[in-house]
This record gives sequence, C-alpha cells and structure tokens, in this order.
Amino acid sequence: MLGRMTDELPFVIKADREGFLLIVNGKTPLPHVLEALRTKLEESKAFFQKSKMILDLHQRPFDPEEVGAVRALMEQAAGVELAEVRVSCEDGAFSRWAAGLLGVKIRLGTERDKDTGASDSQANPHDASPPLVVRQTCRSGTRIESPAELVILGDVNPGAEIIASGDIVVFGTLRGVAHAGAQGDREARIWALHIEPQQLRIADLVALPPRGRKPKPKRYEVAEVKGDLIQVVSY
Amino acid sequence: MAGRTIVVTSGKGGVGKTTTIANLGTALAKKGFSVVMIDADIGLRNLDVVMGLENRIVYNLVDIVEGKCRIEQAMIRDRKLKKLHIIPAAQTREKDAVQPEQMKALCQQLAEQNDFVLIDCPAGIERGFKNAVAGAQQALVVTTPEVSAIRDADRVIGLLEANLLKDIHLVINRLNVKMVKQGDMMSTADIVSLLSVPLIGVVPESEDVVVSTNRGVPLVHERGSRAGAAFQKIAARLNGESVPFDDDQDGGFLSRVKRIFGG
Repeated sequence: MLGRMTDELPFVIKADREGFLLIVNGKTPLPHVLEALRTKLEESKAFFQKSKMILDLHQRPFDPEEVGAVRALMEQAAGVELAEVRVSCEDGAFSRWAAGLLGVKIRLGTERDKDTGASDSQANPHDASPPLVVRQTCRSGTRIESPAELVILGDVNPGAEIIASGDIVVFGTLRGVAHAGAQGDREARIWALHIEPQQLRIADLVALPPRGRKPKPKRYEVAEVKGDLIQVVSY
Repeated sequence: MAGRTIVVTSGKGGVGKTTTIANLGTALAKKGFSVVMIDADIGLRNLDVVMGLENRIVYNLVDIVEGKCRIEQAMIRDRKLKKLHIIPAAQTREKDAVQPEQMKALCQQLAEQNDFVLIDCPAGIERGFKNAVAGAQQALVVTTPEVSAIRDADRVIGLLEANLLKDIHLVINRLNVKMVKQGDMMSTADIVSLLSVPLIGVVPESEDVVVSTNRGVPLVHERGSRAGAAFQKIAARLNGESVPFDDDQDGGFLSRVKRIFGG
C-alpha cells in the first residue's frame, strides 16, 4: 500500500488556460503531498520557475493551514505563485477563512460544474450549489465569488468585491462593490442592513449611489431591479 | 526573558508610522523597559533621523543579516535612554537584501534579550511589508482620518489576518477634534466601526510633531505636548495598564467607542 502511494503521485499537475492546475487527491496525508510536491518542483524547477499555480481542492477538504503549507513550499521550491484556490461549495471551513486570504483569488464550484463545463451551470445557476456563507468582514482587496447565493455575516468594506450568481445578503454594512445575478439574472437582489456602496450591479445593470448622506434606515434595505433601473428600498 | 515583537504598519505612507514608533519606543524605555526599534524600510531610512541618531550609524540591518557584523554592533544607543536602541535600515540596498525568515530569526533573538522589539514597516504591501511582518507577534496599524489612509489600513489588516497575525490594534493619528466637531473629518467612532479593530490610542494633530521630528527629539520627552501625552498613553496600554480614553482627545466620542468595545 505504502509502496503504491510513493509510486503514484498524490496530485496531478495540468496545464490550464490560466496557468498550471494542481489537483491534490483527498486521501494522502499532507507530509506525503508536500514531499512529493517538493521533489516534483525541484526536478522541474526551471520549467515551473515563476509560474502561476491554481490549487484545486475539489477532492480534498479545505484546510487553511494546508493551503498555507503548500503555498510556502511552492514559493520556496521554485518561486511558483499560488494564484487561485478552487474549492467545492460544501466546504464550511473555507468560508470562515475565505475573506482573509492573502490576495489569492478563490473560486467556488461543485465538481459537477467542472465536469460538465460552465455552460450547464450557467443555464441553471441557482440549482447548482448551496449558498456560500462568509463569516467575516470582507476587507479592502478581498474578492469573493459564489456560483449561487452569497451570505456575508459582517461588513463589506470599501475596496472589497462580492459577486454571486444569485442573491447577496450582507448582515452588516455594504460599502464595497456588490454584483448579484452575475450570470444575468435580473431577479436577483442585494440585501444588507445598510447599503452605502461604491457601486451596485445586478445582472447587466450598474448603479452608483446618490451623492450626499442619507438617513440611516430603520431595519434593512434591499436593492432590486424596477423597470430597467436598480432601486434601493428601505424596510 | 521573552519580549514582545510589535510591528507598526499602515499601508499608506506618511501617516506617522515612524513618529509613532519613535515615540512609543522612547515612552516604553522611559518606563524602564529595554527596547529595540528596527527600521525595516530598507532603501529609505528615517527612524534614525527622527531619533536624532543618523550620524552614529556604522552598521545596519542588512549588515547583520549578511553576517558582516554582530547584532550588538549595529544597535545604536539612544542619546538619553540607556535601554533604548535602534537598528537602522540600509539606505544603499534594495528590499530583497533581507528574507522574511532572516527577519524572523533576528526578531526572535532580539526578543530574548529585550522587553520590546518594535519594527518600523515600510509603506506598501510588497516585499518590505512581508519582511517587517514576518517576525512580529503583534501589530499596530496607524491611520489618519482620511479615506485613502483608512482604505489602505483596511487592506493591511486583511493581510495581517491572513498571515495569522490576529493581535492587531489601531492607532488613529492626526485627529483634528475641531474638524470632527464641524463634521469635516471622520470621527474616531466612524473609523473604528469601519475597521473593526480595537483602538489603542488617538493622537491629536499637532505642530509639535514637526518640530520634534526636525530636532530629532521624540515628543514624549517634552512636557505639555498633547500628542506626546497621547503616545505615552498608548505605551502604557501596550504595557497592559488600563488608561481611560478621555473625551477631550477622542473628540467626545468616548461613549460610542466604548459601545463598540462592548464596554
């Protein structure tokens, strides 16, 4: 068994349109993965030098420390930059950490999305996956995309971008950029305790907030499309 | 002795990181702690100037890291306080002359021999920032009440959190109480609510700061300076003393700030 594991790499590296794609299998313990990865990168150091790598964790549970370790190893062994992490939506651990990622883009999707291609998930974005819940304030520089609904339990600060195919719910103040119905769904809405955004987008429409301060709403606000315009309604 | 390593950072330049570190270091040393201040802004040094020590520099941070001198040789003692030292940055080198691991090892070594190691972080979020943050256990994020500084502070806090540096406190520098009262400047409460990081002190805008920087004597040495008093309070809070936030300096927003802290 052990012999087989060392023969067979615990990961696959593919060339993707956007760079290299590193798919790590779900069972191998982290030290084995790191060891094999180090060997691989050092063998082909010149080849990987300064390239960008996308870490695909659809087969493996998301663990921030593992991602950190893989990232450090890649940088150290061959100067490879971790450009993006792809995880499956079911992963709760991801959401607790997502907003804090060090400038690395996170893309969510189910394995099915990947196998059947993007066109399928576009046709039916809402059924594809459960909502993504981020239990953190999204700070400047954070970008979070969800193929379904997106729930932020915290504020969205100026300079942060949140994007969802479905509705967006911010249990806090929305001060950054929010794009609901990103696949073209004009029925999508943006809900927040306070909406004081830099910019709102629903489907193909864009709205800027009016100039000047407005009175604080009593309960919550919802942005939705009325006619061909996005309107913010206070409740 | 296991001392604390604290990085002072901001993202945006010119908000008062170096002034803050010079004053906090001096205030802590006045309390009797041994303090080392590291200028991690390689290529553009200025902590030594603010401390009035620039003509004493022989060795610098890069010399230590490259093994050209012992740590003690690069540590310059303050003119007044025996327990206060600075390690200057190299002005003629690039930021990548130092690796984050090397900074980490240096900070650990210094923390064994001192009560406080304060690191002056360069502006920006690139290599210099990563170096400065690598060895720190705690961070002070300095901002001024301007949207651009606050935006950068927010980004930096996110990056610190991602580096698993969770012990972060906020210093608001150059608050003009009069302008806040007129509604022309963001208040302490507004800034704290946006950044959602605990506040450790508010420093009022003051002309004294310019004078003291030019003279190379930190403000905390002067009596009667309000900015100096504010830095002394921050130093005391860093030391774990509970010093109340008084209404006067915080622009009368004490109650709101307290509410944010759940106090």
